[in-house]
Amino acid sequence: MTAQRQASSAAQTPHLSAAELSYLYTSLSLPNNPIRPDGRSPTQFRPLAAECDILPGTNGSARIGFADGTQAIVGVKAEVEKTTLTADTLDARSLSLQSDLGPSGDGREGTEGSSAATGGHGSWVQMSIEIPGFRDDDALPVFLAEMMRESLVGSVGGKDGDGIERGMAGGLKGRLVINKRWHWRLYIDVLLLSQPLSYPLPLLSLTTHLALLSTKLPKLKSQGEEDPFFDDDWAVAEYLYPRASAGLKFNPSQQVRPPVTLLVISVGENVIFDPNREEIAVADAVLAISVTRDTESQGLKLLTIRTIDPPSRLTQPGVPNSENVNMLGATAPGESVAVLNPATGEEEIPGVWRPRRGGVKRSVIAGMVKTVLKKGGVGEEVLAGLEGVQVG
Amino acid sequence: MKSLRRDFSSNPQAANVTSKVFVRSTKSGKVQKIVRELYLRQDIPCSSKLCSLCPSIAPADANGNITPFILSDRPAGTKAFPRGHYLVPDTNALLNGMDLFEHTGAFYDVIILQTVLEELRNQSLPLYNRLLSLIKTDEKRFYLFFNEFRLETHVRREPDESINDRNDRAVRTVASWYGEHLRASSKKGKKKKNLRKAKAENVTALSLSDYVAGLEDSEKLLDMISEAREARDTKGSARGQLFYPEYYSMSKLQTGLRAGTLHQGVFNVSPYNYLEGSVNVPAFDKPLIILGRDNSNRAIAGDSVVIEVLPQDQWKSPSTKLVDEEAVTRNDNPDTDDTEAVVTDRERKALQEEVKKAHGKNSEGKPQPTAKVVGVIKRNWRQYVGHVDSGSTGSQAASGRRQQTVFVLPMDKKVPKIRVRTRQAGDLVGHRILVTIDAWDRDSRYPSGHFIRSLGELETKGAETEALLLEYDVQYKPFPKNVLDCLPSEGHGWTVPASKEDKGWNGRRDLRDLLICSIDPPGCQDIDDALHARPLPNGNFEVGVHIADVSHFVKPNNPMDLEASVRGSTVYLVDKRIDMLPHLLGTDLCSLKPYVERYAFSVIWEVTPNAEIISSDFTKSVIRSREAFSYEQAQLRIDDASQTDELTESMRNLLKFSKILRQKRYDAGALNLASPEVRIEADADEVGDPLADVKTKSMLATNSLVEEFMLLANITVASKIYASFSQTALLRRHATPPPQNFEDLMNQLSKKRNMELDVSSSGALANSLDRCVDPENPFFNTLVRILATRCMTSAEYFCAGAHAESEFRHYGLASPIYTHFTSPIRRYADLLVHRQLASAIGYEGEDGHAGLEGVATRGKLDDICRNINYRHRNAQFAGRASIEYYVGQALKARGEKMAVDGTDKGVDEEGYVMRVFENGVVVFVPRFGIEGVVRLEDFVLPGESSGWNVTERRELAAHRITDFDPEEYTLRVQEKGHSEKERGVLVELFQRVHVNVSSVKEEGRGAGKRRVRVLITGASDKK
Repeated sequence: MTAQRQASSAAQTPHLSAAELSYLYTSLSLPNNPIRPDGRSPTQFRPLAAECDILPGTNGSARIGFADGTQAIVGVKAEVEKTTLTADTLDARSLSLQSDLGPSGDGREGTEGSSAATGGHGSWVQMSIEIPGFRDDDALPVFLAEMMRESLVGSVGGKDGDGIERGMAGGLKGRLVINKRWHWRLYIDVLLLSQPLSYPLPLLSLTTHLALLSTKLPKLKSQGEEDPFFDDDWAVAEYLYPRASAGLKFNPSQQVRPPVTLLVISVGENVIFDPNREEIAVADAVLAISVTRDTESQGLKLLTIRTIDPPSRLTQPGVPNSENVNMLGATAPGESVAVLNPATGEEEIPGVWRPRRGGVKRSVIAGMVKTVLKKGGVGEEVLAGLEGVQVG
Repeated sequence: MKSLRRDFSSNPQAANVTSKVFVRSTKSGKVQKIVRELYLRQDIPCSSKLCSLCPSIAPADANGNITPFILSDRPAGTKAFPRGHYLVPDTNALLNGMDLFEHTGAFYDVIILQTVLEELRNQSLPLYNRLLSLIKTDEKRFYLFFNEFRLETHVRREPDESINDRNDRAVRTVASWYGEHLRASSKKGKKKKNLRKAKAENVTALSLSDYVAGLEDSEKLLDMISEAREARDTKGSARGQLFYPEYYSMSKLQTGLRAGTLHQGVFNVSPYNYLEGSVNVPAFDKPLIILGRDNSNRAIAGDSVVIEVLPQDQWKSPSTKLVDEEAVTRNDNPDTDDTEAVVTDRERKALQEEVKKAHGKNSEGKPQPTAKVVGVIKRNWRQYVGHVDSGSTGSQAASGRRQQTVFVLPMDKKVPKIRVRTRQAGDLVGHRILVTIDAWDRDSRYPSGHFIRSLGELETKGAETEALLLEYDVQYKPFPKNVLDCLPSEGHGWTVPASKEDKGWNGRRDLRDLLICSIDPPGCQDIDDALHARPLPNGNFEVGVHIADVSHFVKPNNPMDLEASVRGSTVYLVDKRIDMLPHLLGTDLCSLKPYVERYAFSVIWEVTPNAEIISSDFTKSVIRSREAFSYEQAQLRIDDASQTDELTESMRNLLKFSKILRQKRYDAGALNLASPEVRIEADADEVGDPLADVKTKSMLATNSLVEEFMLLANITVASKIYASFSQTALLRRHATPPPQNFEDLMNQLSKKRNMELDVSSSGALANSLDRCVDPENPFFNTLVRILATRCMTSAEYFCAGAHAESEFRHYGLASPIYTHFTSPIRRYADLLVHRQLASAIGYEGEDGHAGLEGVATRGKLDDICRNINYRHRNAQFAGRASIEYYVGQALKARGEKMAVDGTDKGVDEEGYVMRVFENGVVVFVPRFGIEGVVRLEDFVLPGESSGWNVTERRELAAHRITDFDPEEYTLRVQEKGHSEKERGVLVELFQRVHVNVSSVKEEGRGAGKRRVRVLITGASDKK
């Protein structure tokens, strides 16, 4: 029970004393120039080990290991499946085509039905997450899986995006459509190899992203509405997310990519990326931000922001000298003057740890989002980095 | 953000492990990525006797022996490689020249690569099987080298490299590896052959034709290279005209088949009209008709095709016309087909008339669904026997060695003529030759093929017999040594062990004191069965059927067993018998010869005097037959009242029981069917009338005596093995024919004779057949039976698990279950049934552990059933064709003998009209058991001063007019410009006609076959 609670609230709280927490907090909250325990800049990531195609039996796979020792493996398998829901709508459509009814109410029904066939369906992507110590029907894995699947299938506007995406109309869902009667079903199996030391979502998300990038589907040989028939040569299989071909001029921002989820914390007014355990322990707010490429504006697009219960809420408060009976009289009364914390708007005595009560200013959150989304910002850096992982 | 990647380069084992990745689509529509790990080894030998290294590294078996090396240390040399060479062919070389590799004159010491073998299997299964059997034979020294598993020769696919390029590279890698390997070990330089672009890697590569050109006898060999691929290049893209529509893509076919809009079936061609085909598909009761070359779209009889039903306005009635290919397309030139359309005007005209008919008033000719071929699932091309159309060789024929294109007319009328390029056209005219079809492209009117070998001159006995055997796929080569090695070492000296302690007596009952005799056709050497009957003290009788115990000599899965399972059946030709088992077994050791002790498998019943069966018993036994009778001898002995010995009494009893059994069988609804068979007694003396040998089969009571007890034994055994092996029992069934098969015959009978045919059950059919009697025409009943037989399906072997028990029925015999048990010497099915029965009765064999190995699994049994059904059918066809050929020859011999003024007057006989077409009729001549097509010119009209000459008569056809009434099945032929009475004749279905039978040398397709010409000289019983 405790493990579960801890994992869902960002991380296991490291056993730090109130003084240590206070020290960390003070360093991290230094205006404009936070000092992180490992000396990184606020937007710098720790090195991570990533590789693709580690499982030959899958259509695509990846492994990522974070510097704190957490590791995840993701395998993607694809299966051909008959599209059942369109069987009757297809008839209706062909009927209306034949009888040439024109754009009446009848015709509209037809297009509505066929949109699932041409636009794909979210349930064609199935995701399962395995975390050591959890049953597969526990709340955390189910919640995480649904969270990631949602942003994956929803990453391109739920309605048929009439943008001129290259090769991937309708995003992932659209890519899974083979023809009106057949589609691919994706099974994404996520396996967390280590104990969930910190909140595992970013790790799982990055690994899934990488695995999807390396996923290939057999090349289709049949055309149109025929039963699908595939080339038996794996070497000519095509990427699920089309890759840039070497010769062509390539604009990465036009490629549809799976979303990534980043973990961001705020300490005071500072925004810190890729926090380690200690940093999370003192965070004012912990956010999981999902972004993806926006095919229309050529930039990044914010998909979701989820706030995560910060562990600092559960820490024991420090006691100011002025209230400490043991220290009575040992200090000058002027030393412990409460000052206003600009981030939270609460009065605090410097050097004395107070558990965070939650709540963060709008401007801070806006800052977080901006740092992720802006051109040349952290989001693009991460996506470019993952793209750079050699595939094959 | 940085990422790190593991580095494998430091792992020394990494190079030995690699994997093969491909996509597999399963039947259920699943698509899987398959990864196979490969562990590369270095101990796969090169198998060359020149090599000194490999014997030390080659893997040894448990006894420390290594497989003997195959490739000779003195390989043959050619002009280009005087010091000898090994061959490393690539896949294309094998695809184009498999016949060459099988040739015994050249192509020894060949290294077949695993890569090539697999590629070949994907491209052509028949060629793959032929290559496998080549590898198995020792003489040709073919070595299968597993190059993909050897570290040095394994080739990893480079990025962006196509599979073909990779495989080509693998072949070159092996060739150069062999070169270096042998140089290192023996210092003797070896040359390699390979195809194309290998120069860079220092490998000698030649194209197949260049290589062959360097061999002796190259002209003959060059003809054997497949025409298809090589010729395509020379034709280039210049010739753009496509005669045939393209086939649908595989996926489109699959979609259609699954959705039920397309249908799959085997393409059949009508024997009377080469332009009309039909395909039987499971979705419909009646076969769909395919008319014309356009619609049959390059399908050849026997191919498994996918068809699409044509719109209703294109439906037609089946043709009522006789159309022969050589008559319509006689003037085609094999070299130039660019100018002509795929359907020539003459062909089109022939079709038009059929369409007209379809719109006629009559009920029978109402349009039937037609279809067109849209794809071919599996080609069923084989080797075809034929002869060069002498008209197509052109004038250059004399000019000798130049390569030219000729037409080969296959013997089988259902197969279109084949375009063959040859350098030996001049020599081949007038020979029976064997050719094969390589391809049929859209831009070619006829399929193209290549010459394999000549069987000899037309009309010589040897060539014609071999042609027949090849046409019906009969294995006629002598038994190989490994089969003969399985025979008992004592040879003809083998006897039943004298001492009963001998293991040969284990589980055998001693029946030597029973009075057993055999009854067979005269001169029979392979005696399968013998019988006995004796009274029991309780007033009942003991009746026994004793069958040769072949399974004692043929052990499961040894080479002899495998050979027999491939041959499936003994084939009886007029003057030749192609045995299923080696001579020693068939005619001596197994054969239940009289006066000697033999092993047998006995079925013994206890029956009441009324032939009620009380009990049955099965046992392996030892018997001694007292006498081997012919049917006539047995009949004489039974009829001779002075003979009262026990043996004769026993035969009389048997006869009595058989009559009761027969009656019971008919009461149960068994059919008495007729087939137009004649028997040939080939002991003809030179002086007599050659036709005297041709005898219609006579049925003596003793024939049916044997038959009844064999049926009884088969039925008894069938229930026994089915009780023991409910899934794997080998049974025989005769499916109830669907009533619509009889539709035509029923129409004809009711129209012409006002007779009814009740096809609701076999009993009803038997009764209604009995009623089809014409008092003026005693043969009429037989004729109807022959026609009825043709409406039925053929009986087939199957294993019990393949059908529901209700489907086991044997329709013709009206038995709920049936199998073949009584002729194990000449049928493989019986041999299997013997093994199953032995196991069912707990017989353990002489060494106590005879299991049921090999026939216990259904999958394997299904394969065997398929094969023996096929062989059984072919054996029957071959036998009939042989008789037909013999009759023709006898007629010819007689014609020559009886000839007056050098012209053959033929034989006058009686015939019966079986079918009426618009431009001719089919007549059955019972005397010779043949049916002949009578064309317009072959009607001898009253008052005609008949010239018998074939060519003279051919002119007549143009002057004749016909009036064909498809509803009344009549055809009136009369001369133009004459009144009907003067020069006209009316023939109708079932009519008895006077015919004149002679053998004439045929031109065109049948050439040399000596068509049996039938002239109608007059109608006898006009109604």
